[in-house]
Amino acid sequence: MHIRAPKDFWSGIMFLAFAATAMIAAHGYSLGSAGKMGPGYFPMMLGGALALIGIILVARSLVLTGETVGRIHVAPLAIITVGVVLFGVMLEPLGLVAALIAVTLVAAYAGRESHPLEAAVLAAALAAFSVGVFVIALRLPLPIWPSIF
Amino acid sequence: MEMLSNLAVGFSVALTVQNILYCFTGVLLGTMVGVLPGIGPVTTVAMLLPISFTLPPESALILLAGIYYGAQYGGSTTAILVNIPGEASSVVTTIDGHQMARQGRAGPALGIAAIGSFFAGSVATLLICFAAPPLAAIALNFGPAEYFSLMVCGLIAAIVLARGSVIKAIGMVILGLLLGIAGTDVNSGIRRFTFGFQDMADGIEFVALSMAIYGIAECAYNLERKAEEADVTGTIGNVWPSLTDIRHCTPAVLRGTVLGSLLGVLPGGGALLAAFGAYTLEKKVAKPPRSFGDGDIRGVAAPESANNAGAQTSFIPMLTLGIPSNPTMAMMIGALMIHGISPGPRVMTERPELFWGLIASMWIGNLLLVVLNLPLVGMWVKLLRIPYRLLFPAIVGFCCIGAYTVNSNIFDVYVMAFFAIFGYLCLKLDCEPAPLILGFVLGPLMEENLRRALLLSRGDLMVLIEEPLSLIFLIAAAVLLLVVAAPAIRQKREEALQE
Repeated sequence: MHIRAPKDFWSGIMFLAFAATAMIAAHGYSLGSAGKMGPGYFPMMLGGALALIGIILVARSLVLTGETVGRIHVAPLAIITVGVVLFGVMLEPLGLVAALIAVTLVAAYAGRESHPLEAAVLAAALAAFSVGVFVIALRLPLPIWPSIF
Repeated sequence: MEMLSNLAVGFSVALTVQNILYCFTGVLLGTMVGVLPGIGPVTTVAMLLPISFTLPPESALILLAGIYYGAQYGGSTTAILVNIPGEASSVVTTIDGHQMARQGRAGPALGIAAIGSFFAGSVATLLICFAAPPLAAIALNFGPAEYFSLMVCGLIAAIVLARGSVIKAIGMVILGLLLGIAGTDVNSGIRRFTFGFQDMADGIEFVALSMAIYGIAECAYNLERKAEEADVTGTIGNVWPSLTDIRHCTPAVLRGTVLGSLLGVLPGGGALLAAFGAYTLEKKVAKPPRSFGDGDIRGVAAPESANNAGAQTSFIPMLTLGIPSNPTMAMMIGALMIHGISPGPRVMTERPELFWGLIASMWIGNLLLVVLNLPLVGMWVKLLRIPYRLLFPAIVGFCCIGAYTVNSNIFDVYVMAFFAIFGYLCLKLDCEPAPLILGFVLGPLMEENLRRALLLSRGDLMVLIEEPLSLIFLIAAAVLLLVVAAPAIRQKREEALQE
């Protein structure tokens, strides 16, 4: 066994993983019959179809030669994702200003050529803009400051 | 006569101070993101979805639509002056447009792009006026079987006309359908794919999913590639093309408009396909053909007219059938659904102010764009100097705010973080996210229509091929699939899409 088309192979594996999850979950819902489709009917159908696609991709990748997967740059994605999660954790207790400054600073760090001072100015500007536009002008329900104030 | 009264309703909506302002904001933002490489209309519409929920539905639609067609204008500016497509749909404009700029003819190139776009946009809007009502009237008679097959056909067509591997695209559609039906099943009340999360009862939030993929994942992906230096070409000069230029371009603009309008209606079509198609056609039919590639003004006029025409007519399937032809349209459907409006043939009769108001706003928007684009070109060029390292943290921040504000629920922010990782992997594996978004929007509708069709036929699947219209849609879908599967045609398709 030799993987000749890594991009296709891993796409197939990804589809198979989703298909398996869907079919295992759908197994717990009643299938019903074609005339009276239960909540599991359509998901099971889709899961089966997705599994088929996954199998075809994996099988094909063992026969036909294709592209390799480019290098996965873990750092930028991980840093940005951490920033997003941080925003989620901070927003309700600490307010929009703190959460937005945090996510901007963390995300800016993901770029290779970030300057700390520039990022700080950007974060402050974004926070001011967002409070002005989203909270004051558009009245979106966002806490601005930490809730203890 | 009816058309006139419809248009009167439309203009009475579009010409209110508030809606002119939203239209203006839309096209201004659209031009801005069109000019900026690395941020496109899909990302922008996704980021603005939460704001649009606070507006009345017609204003929301006017704003979001303006972004989409506004971006087609902005994209050409970057293509001509910097040789980088500001938008995917202006890739072909770089070929002749940038050559013209190097020969000192940047002004006329920008001018003809704007004039061609305006002409094409006006014609395409008129086409929507005439084509949409009869199409909606036909669609009103569709039963569940027809609707199901139509959606199958639409999704398949979207795959075939999109770039990349067909089989992966089918996988992405199915995955999108699966993600779309997560949450409480309307018929049984059972919660599907919620994995024990209380917050998943309403399913996966569309805004969070689309911002994850088009906002966050794309930022991470763009950071890997070396930033292209914006090298703005000299002076712009007079933007008015000479009479000779105009005479030279008229057939190209006309052909671009017609082809763009037609390709825009197709699922998977829209602006991108229109521009590619028009440039290829122009190279084949224009006489004399020699100068394409060395700054032929027709090589700017045709694709720029076509992409704007295509951007307008891609609203037709969304407005009349409730079927999105591209991810931006899927987002418009998402915006309407949040307002409790289910897009489809009934919108036109039940909410005429919404439908005709949008159409009327497109005329106004196109006019505003010509005004914005030509005199302000210097300002747009300055915008190009904003480095990506300042842009992407802002995108990430706005996505976070957007994901939270849709439901005031922190859970949606975490959903976005999860799908950002997923979206990045998809980009790495060359799995196009567009089919996933289309599938996501259509998932619940497809299930419901299939359920109803099979309920009426008592479980007989043959109903899908016994209804004549339904059979036609399925045959069309099958033919499309066979066509791409055939090796000779597949090669042609790849050539046409790569060009």
